[in-house]
Amino acid sequence: MSFTRLDATRRLMAMLDKEPVIASLGHPAYDLFAAGDRPENFYTWGSMGLASSMGLGLAMARPDLRVFVLDGDGSLLMNLGSLATIGWTRPPNLILIVWDNGEYGTTGGQETATRHGADLEAVARSMGMQTATTICTAEELDAAVARARTTPGPWTIVARVDENIPTVKPPLDYVMITKRFMSAIRVEAGSSDPAPRR
Amino acid sequence: MTTGSARATAWASAVCAGLHAVGSRHIVYVPDNPLSHVLRVLGEDYRDITTTLATREEEAFGIAAGLFVGGMRPAVMLQSSGLGNSINALTSLLIPFQIPVVIVISMRGDAGEWNAAQMPMGRAVRPILESIGIPHVTAESPETTAETIRAVGEMAFSSNLPAACLLPRRLTVPS
Repeated sequence: MSFTRLDATRRLMAMLDKEPVIASLGHPAYDLFAAGDRPENFYTWGSMGLASSMGLGLAMARPDLRVFVLDGDGSLLMNLGSLATIGWTRPPNLILIVWDNGEYGTTGGQETATRHGADLEAVARSMGMQTATTICTAEELDAAVARARTTPGPWTIVARVDENIPTVKPPLDYVMITKRFMSAIRVEAGSSDPAPRR
Repeated sequence: MTTGSARATAWASAVCAGLHAVGSRHIVYVPDNPLSHVLRVLGEDYRDITTTLATREEEAFGIAAGLFVGGMRPAVMLQSSGLGNSINALTSLLIPFQIPVVIVISMRGDAGEWNAAQMPMGRAVRPILESIGIPHVTAESPETTAETIRAVGEMAFSSNLPAACLLPRRLTVPS
């Protein structure tokens, strides 16, 4: 039975409250939008590989928030160093979900290395994330997300999913995405910095 | 009277003072030799500034983007050779999404360089920054570097776009 990335994204989002979610470009972002637009969603439109890095920065800046990242296997493979940095800095409030469909879905379905032996859970473990896990079903996703929401991380959840062809795309107004996101998590640009305003 | 070694790292103290003055409390970096002086001063005199070492420059800009949307005023420090590793992050994340960061670039390949492998990127740093619309200022002396960096940071955070301060070798590697 198929378990698509869109199925998984919908299932995840139904479990979340107001947690910020940063999505990697292309299909992971499209499916996040399809699952339901909300101001706490940050849709990237480029910068392949950097969703987990951005999530790390947000998690360090805002320890009061539980930060979700929706990455892809191809994107994470482009920035494996990010796992080393997350494993070193160990933000307990970062939850990295990797949609692992074994292909570069957004660019036409070319195979990724995870279809040929690369094991992203094992990479995350080797970088210090002993809680890393791989899930293959909706029920396993529910259980892993429930655990990640209630116990300290950083979490890496590699979700084996099937590719689906998204039919909708998030807004192309990038500045709106930034400002709406910051407002939703209650940040005015520079508001929490300690520098005196002139 | 300023001693030789104090003079040698006065520029590094000035970098820290400038970043602190503009409100940067989290600096993401990929290390290089001159920047090690900045990191030492940060460790000794700026306990309120957190530093994170990234494995690669593009990753550093991704982390900085997350720090900014979380309410911080981030800085990224890198060697000029790593600017080439940063372009996609700058052009497809920080600039279009209006995410500012103070960029401190330790220059290689400018006057005094001995390694020819550093020279092509050294020549390219300013044209690259100009072609993608990132303003840059070159720090001239230890006495003016703090104010230069503070001003670059103000430019970044009031325009919501990255801005760069270049540290030439004549500043960071005194003869």
